[in-house]
Amino acid sequence: MTKTQKRYASSAARYSILTLWALIVAFPLYWMITTSFKPSDQWFSWPPVWFPSPPTLANYHDVWLGSTSVAEGGQTALSLQTPFLALRNSMILAFGSTGLAVLYGAIIAYGVSRYSLLSESRMFQLLMLKMVPPIVIIAPLSLYYSYIGLLDSMFGLGVLYFLTSLPYAVWMTKSFIDEVPREVEQAAEILGASRWRTVFEVVLPLIRSGLVATFMFILILNWSEYLLALILSKTHVVTLPVELSKFEGSTEGKLFGRQAALSVGITVPLMIVGLMIRKHLARGFSFGMVRR
Amino acid sequence: MARIDLINLRKSYGPTLAVRDLSFSIADGEFIVFVGPSGCGKTTTLRLIAGFEEPDRGEIRIDGRLVNDLEPRDRGLGMVFQSHALFPHKTVAQNIEFGLRMKKVPRNERAKRVREVAEMVRLTALLDKLPGACSGGESQRVALARTLVTNPSTFLLDEPLSSLDAKLRRELRAECDRLHQELKKTFIFVTHDQEEAMTLADRIVVMRAGDIEQIGSPMEIYSNPVTDFVADFFGSPSMNLIAGEVDHAEGGAQFRSSRLTLTLPKPFANVPPGPVTLGIRPEHVGVQRDGRSGADLDLPVRLVEPLGKDTLLYFDLGSERPFVVICEGLAMADMEAGAIVGLDLARDCLFLFGPDGRRIAQSGGLTAVPARAQLAAARVGGAAD
Repeated sequence: MTKTQKRYASSAARYSILTLWALIVAFPLYWMITTSFKPSDQWFSWPPVWFPSPPTLANYHDVWLGSTSVAEGGQTALSLQTPFLALRNSMILAFGSTGLAVLYGAIIAYGVSRYSLLSESRMFQLLMLKMVPPIVIIAPLSLYYSYIGLLDSMFGLGVLYFLTSLPYAVWMTKSFIDEVPREVEQAAEILGASRWRTVFEVVLPLIRSGLVATFMFILILNWSEYLLALILSKTHVVTLPVELSKFEGSTEGKLFGRQAALSVGITVPLMIVGLMIRKHLARGFSFGMVRR
Repeated sequence: MARIDLINLRKSYGPTLAVRDLSFSIADGEFIVFVGPSGCGKTTTLRLIAGFEEPDRGEIRIDGRLVNDLEPRDRGLGMVFQSHALFPHKTVAQNIEFGLRMKKVPRNERAKRVREVAEMVRLTALLDKLPGACSGGESQRVALARTLVTNPSTFLLDEPLSSLDAKLRRELRAECDRLHQELKKTFIFVTHDQEEAMTLADRIVVMRAGDIEQIGSPMEIYSNPVTDFVADFFGSPSMNLIAGEVDHAEGGAQFRSSRLTLTLPKPFANVPPGPVTLGIRPEHVGVQRDGRSGADLDLPVRLVEPLGKDTLLYFDLGSERPFVVICEGLAMADMEAGAIVGLDLARDCLFLFGPDGRRIAQSGGLTAVPARAQLAAARVGGAAD
């Protein structure tokens, strides 16, 4: 093979693999979106219906605005919480705890990076905290929370999200802070900046792409967190993933179309955030190439 | 106003001793250059003065006040870093303004001072650019401007020109010199480039392995090096050093090496016999086109390097490094490699260094300043005008 032929062959191979991968990744999304527009008789018809005909907004209407056509059993389950309330809760909890975790994590990471606040093994232990499956701690935590009165409260769940995402935040932001040349900080210092001003005016702006990438990563985790939210909330605080699970047990069977319609509502906010910050994401995940 | 005194400074990083026991004073308004090979402690000394490192022991005084425990920002110094260390997310104007903002200077005043300084270092056209869009020389000028604007008592410059190409270096060197003349502030400049040191300094501090090897004016350092290290470090090409020994025969002291026997002139009469290193600068060797009896050395030319203004001739004297001779103009440029020439060592420009590297004796020196040192001195003087 000539060199040119080789180049064509390798790019053909590359694109076929990427296309295949894209199909695998995109298919569930496709299925979710089409199902959300399907009338109920097409949810599990065979052969599968690839394009809803005719497409209907009934699922969205039923899920998000409350329904009249849902059977009695389903209705009681749905009426406990409106999805908009769950959406609001999820927004506050995920964005709030993630934002705090990234900010606080970055400050800890700065201490680790510049003052050896935590040794290598302490840093590893910090990450090990994240390796404990939540199911292991959920029972004692639930008892404890009920004892101190944090059960079923936004604050209780928010604190937990904040604390559980802090190790990731520290680990990720530390690698970005390590890349910031010391001389830039020292330049700020000798020009009269205090340590805090240096951190907020020089270090954090320099790693903002990294911060955004960290934020996105943790946001995804907190946004879709299910177990803690399920166990530690009762009736007051319901998040979107918990809301979604309510469709599983409906007496009239599985309401796939409505689940899909709700799922679209859960996915879209994350996608919007992702699109808004995609410029930073590309840079954040390839931070090592920062110009010195 | 800033007089800086360093008293018995010592700094080590773990087992590595960076600065051994450093004491000396820098006068107000002086342009001091620390020079030496990498790892000699010159940057550490600068960082000790700046306050980024804490000395293990010793005192740092600025205008008599002990500053060991002061934060860098409270020492009233300005520093330009080797990497320029600009804030990449701020425009040039914001970079320059930063120090003023930290000092809570009012906005109008800040804008005025930024404009003034930008004009001073010819940056006005770049004020709205980001550092990423500036060339190396421009970034360096931004770094200078950022320091200038805060009006520090002393400028610390850590190899500020080392990342630039030769032409820009010369330009910015002249710029540094001009700023020093205009501002009349103390400048402390760190470099590993002997040429920078020679052209900029009022006094040069030559450092080696954490110690001061020699302090003096560029001319003193060039003409009266106290060790073979200093002799070797200054001058381009550097001094020829020939290992051999001294013995006393009838007719006075003699230097002998494998290829060279030389009767030493009067100033060397009292040198005790034993191993020594003979030093002579490349410009103090006379070249006779055809080898002739009576020359100190008859050697084949190994390599000819015509540089335009001068021509360098390389010879093999059996030592590690070639023996280099510099001839003015292109008179020797047509010399063929392999041709035998006679070399005469100027008797009044010889140095002898002992086995420990310290100078034992010299003929000449400052009383008879070599031509190139005069030239260097003239350059320094000229820039001062």
